[in-house]
Amino acid sequence: MTLLFDTRNLFVRALKKLLRNPILIFFSLFQPILFLVLFTQLFSKFAQVPGLFPAGVSYLEFATPGILMQNAFFSASQSGTSIVEDINSGFLQKMLVSQVSRPAILMGRLAADAFRVTIQSAIIIALAYLLGFRFGTGFAGFLLTLFVIAFFGFAWSGISLTLGMRTKSAETVFGIGAFLTFPLLFMSSALVPVSAMPGWIQDVSKVNPISFAVTAVRDMSLPNAFSLGAEVSALGVITLIAVLTMSATVYLFRKVVS
Amino acid sequence: MLARVMTDIITVNDLVEVYADGTKAVDGISFNVQEGEFFGFLGPNGAGKSTTIKILTTLLRKTSGSVSIAGYDLENNPKEIRKLIGVQSQETSVDPELTGRENMILEGNLQQMSGKELEDRVDYLIGVVGLKDAADKRAGRYSGGMKKRLDLASTLVHKPKVLFLDEPTTGLDPQSRATVWDYLEELNKKEGITIFLTTQYLEEADRLCQRLCIVDAGKIVAEGSPLGLKKEIGADAITITVQNKTGATDKTPPKAAARELLSKLPAVMDILDAEDGLTIYVKNGGLFVPELVRTFDKTDIDLVSINISTPSLDDVFLKHTGKRIRREELVKEVTTGRFGSRRR
Repeated sequence: MTLLFDTRNLFVRALKKLLRNPILIFFSLFQPILFLVLFTQLFSKFAQVPGLFPAGVSYLEFATPGILMQNAFFSASQSGTSIVEDINSGFLQKMLVSQVSRPAILMGRLAADAFRVTIQSAIIIALAYLLGFRFGTGFAGFLLTLFVIAFFGFAWSGISLTLGMRTKSAETVFGIGAFLTFPLLFMSSALVPVSAMPGWIQDVSKVNPISFAVTAVRDMSLPNAFSLGAEVSALGVITLIAVLTMSATVYLFRKVVS
Repeated sequence: MLARVMTDIITVNDLVEVYADGTKAVDGISFNVQEGEFFGFLGPNGAGKSTTIKILTTLLRKTSGSVSIAGYDLENNPKEIRKLIGVQSQETSVDPELTGRENMILEGNLQQMSGKELEDRVDYLIGVVGLKDAADKRAGRYSGGMKKRLDLASTLVHKPKVLFLDEPTTGLDPQSRATVWDYLEELNKKEGITIFLTTQYLEEADRLCQRLCIVDAGKIVAEGSPLGLKKEIGADAITITVQNKTGATDKTPPKAAARELLSKLPAVMDILDAEDGLTIYVKNGGLFVPELVRTFDKTDIDLVSINISTPSLDDVFLKHTGKRIRREELVKEVTTGRFGSRRR
């Protein structure tokens, strides 16, 4: 019970901090929204090139899942900065001399990050909806999409948390996050169909975790594209990443708190 | 078991902390703190004060030795100990984005409190530390003194039996410092909370602590009440400043010449360099002054000032370690402390 009570309290703390810093949400939403509005206009004609894109699919429909993953990826990359802040401000130490359950410190953080990504994704989807984006699989698909995105964000935030606890520097976490975002994003199937890429990028794209997650979301949004196999393999890949990054996170966290 | 009026609430035996790089931060210290006592650790930067407090508050694992708090062994029962202690670390750790009240409620939550009981306690403590008007403003907008008071109040939410304060007034202006001192004294006297305090301020240790350990380089060099420790010196300190008489022919620096003269007087027990003069230790300061004045009568040196004082804790420190706790260090000490940074 302590674990749940503490996780909830620390979750609420993180949300309060986030709401009082709306600029943070603005910054992480700024880029996806820019992409959404600008790219979908800029590249709308490309979608009509025969053979490159799935037939009858607009660039908006194609790119929205990719932009959603970009948002999840970018937000998750910043997740480690909050733990760095707590380490450096002494707040973590304050928690550690109290009776708070240790795992709750991490779980409250992760829950808040997942919540944040979910809300941001809902905002992006709402905006895309206004531009004409529709879910091929309906409301259930929408919910499952949010889940996949939050799960991906969770898996990826482990890298950022690990970096944060290892370096204790918010700048490093932020820098590496920003440094990874673009190459990984553009070398995935997020914004461009794999078939339209040069061979070597195709190879990268095929093992790029973002591609798996994007495919999972795209299969739920494009009409008649849903495939159970793609969903399962995407969730499998994300689970694998989550296991790896969370093991590192928990390992370092235990070192930090002991 | 024999009933005792005073019971030990903290017992530390042969505590040692060796860091990974081989630094011996705490080098075999032993002491007891009695229930209800205001106890202090006085020493310069790097003496091992913060390390000791980190071990006692379950933040840092000791290398060897034994610690028990309120009957609980530190190694076996850290959870029980955390219920009983309140800790204010050197760096003020309030959440700037939460209001003062929210900070306190959160601290209460961390201490497993909630509901009306917690709200009442928070209201009460906010009143005690004089933050009523600012309670619903974000803590980031508080002044340094207000943050310290908030931090202090939040360590008290769960009614700890022992309060650990790691340099609670470092970085505060004199007025805020005096306010914090008043709170601490009241807490100790009225609520009977045992307080363990570390400080490098002599006045602070002198004013607050009933008993203290003077620590240096990881070791306890003296232990006792401030008064008792000062009495041990058994001498008064006379600090003089000197200058050459106008038209003096002797070009020896006056301080060196004065030292030479004074060292020949049998009453002088010791002579040390003071900031802009010399400090002389003699059995009875008042009676020595005429002799002191006469000594300089027929010389080329003028006595600019004479200042007699009873021995201070700095003199005690000096006697045991051969050095002073310097003022410059106090100023530098305003820390940017980071968790995990290894301060000795």
